[in-house]
Amino acid sequence: MNLPQIQLENVTVSYDDRDVLTNLTLALNEQRIGIIGANGAGKSTLSRLLNGLVLPTTGTVRVGELTTAKHAKQIRRDVGFVFQNPANQIIMPLVAEDIAFGLKNLGLGKQERQFRVADTLAQLNITHLAERESHTLSGGEQQMVALAAVIAMQPRTIVFDEPTTMLDLKNRLAFQREIARLDQRAIVVTHDLEILEDFDRVVVVTDGGIGFDGAPDQAIAHYRQWSHA
Amino acid sequence: MIAAKNTSWLSRTPAGWKFGTLLAISISLYLISSWQVLLALLLVSIATLVSARVDFKQLRMPLVTLAAILAVVLILLGIQTGWLNATIAVLRLLTMCIFAYSVSLTTSFDAMLELFQKVASPLRVLGANPAQIALALSMAIRFIPELKRVYLEVREAQHARGLGNNPLAVSVPLVIRSLKIADETAEALDARGYDSAPARHHRL
Repeated sequence: MNLPQIQLENVTVSYDDRDVLTNLTLALNEQRIGIIGANGAGKSTLSRLLNGLVLPTTGTVRVGELTTAKHAKQIRRDVGFVFQNPANQIIMPLVAEDIAFGLKNLGLGKQERQFRVADTLAQLNITHLAERESHTLSGGEQQMVALAAVIAMQPRTIVFDEPTTMLDLKNRLAFQREIARLDQRAIVVTHDLEILEDFDRVVVVTDGGIGFDGAPDQAIAHYRQWSHA
Repeated sequence: MIAAKNTSWLSRTPAGWKFGTLLAISISLYLISSWQVLLALLLVSIATLVSARVDFKQLRMPLVTLAAILAVVLILLGIQTGWLNATIAVLRLLTMCIFAYSVSLTTSFDAMLELFQKVASPLRVLGANPAQIALALSMAIRFIPELKRVYLEVREAQHARGLGNNPLAVSVPLVIRSLKIADETAEALDARGYDSAPARHHRL
C-alpha cells in the first residue's frame, strides 16, 4: 500500500490564549507509529490534527499533497479515526447500518455498501454482530464495530485515540491483534505502552512539544524516566 | 423496535408500498363500522404478521403494553358509549397496530430513512434538509438507550453520595454529560465524512 507522508510544519494550536501544541514539526512515514505522553500534554490534539478534526492556529498539516486547512474532507476519506469512546462514534441503531453510514457519505451505491459491510465484518470476525442493536454491544464489541466502520471506508491511515482505555485485558489483546493485522498505517495515541513494543516509531509528547522521537524501547524508557522526574 | 434480519415476502416488498398500504388500511379501518368485517380484518392482520416471520420475542413486551392500553380503552369507551362501539374501536386499533408491527419489523431502519427522505423532499422548498432530519431521527433512536444509561449512572453516583432523588443533583451532571456526548458524536460525524459544520480550530 502506497502511504502518503503526513507532514506537520511549524504547527501551533492555541486554545483560549494558551498553546496546546507549540511550533511542532514532524514527518510521519512509518507503518506503525505510537504517540505517548502525560494527560493534557497535547496527544489528542496532535492526533486530531492529522485528519483535520482540529486545524492548526498557525503552521500547516499536509497529508500527501493536501493540506488539512483546505482539503479536510478529502483528507478524512484517507485518514480514518477511531475514538476513545466507541459508544459515541456509533451513529446508527443497527451495526450493519452504522458501518454503511460512512460508505453512504462516500457516495457509494447500495450494492457496493452491502459488499463492503459484509467484507469488513468478516475481516474482523464479527459477522454475527451485523443485525445487533448498537446499544446492546459490550465495550469490546463496540470498539470492534467502530474499527470496522473506519476500515470499511478503506483509508490508508487510521488514527486511534486511546483505543484500549475502556477495554478489559481480553478485548485489549484482541484489539491489539487487529491493529497488528492492518494493512493500513496505524497511528496510535495510547497510555498502553505494551501495544507499542513492535511499532516502528514512538513519539513522546511533553508540554505541547516533542520530548522524544525514536524507537519504541528508547521512547518508552525516556517517557518512564520523564514520568518519575 | 428495529427490524432484525428478516427474509420474508414482506421484507422484500419496497418500503414505500408497505407504508402506503398501511396508511390506506388505517384510513379504511375508520370507514368500516361492522364488527364482523373488522374481526375478519384482524384475522388477516394476524395472518400477515405470522407470514412475515417476525421475531415474536421482540413483540412480547409491546403486545403486553398494547393489551393493557386496549383494555383501558375498552372499559372507558364501554361505559361511556356502549360495549358494541367500544369493541369496534378496540378492533380497529388492534388491527392497525398489528399491521404496523408487520411493516416496521420487516423494514430496515435504513429503508425507512430513505423513504422518509423521499416523502419529506418537498420540504426543501421551505429550506429544510430531509437528510439532516432523517439523520437526527436515527440518532435520537440510537442515543435514547445511551442517555438512559447515563441517567442511571448519574443517579447511582448521587445515591452513593447520599443525595437521594434530588432532581437538580441528577439533572445538572446529566445535561453536562449529554452535551459531552453530543460534542464527541459531532466530531465522529465529521471524522466519518458527514457533511456538517467546518472543523474546529482547537481542542484539548
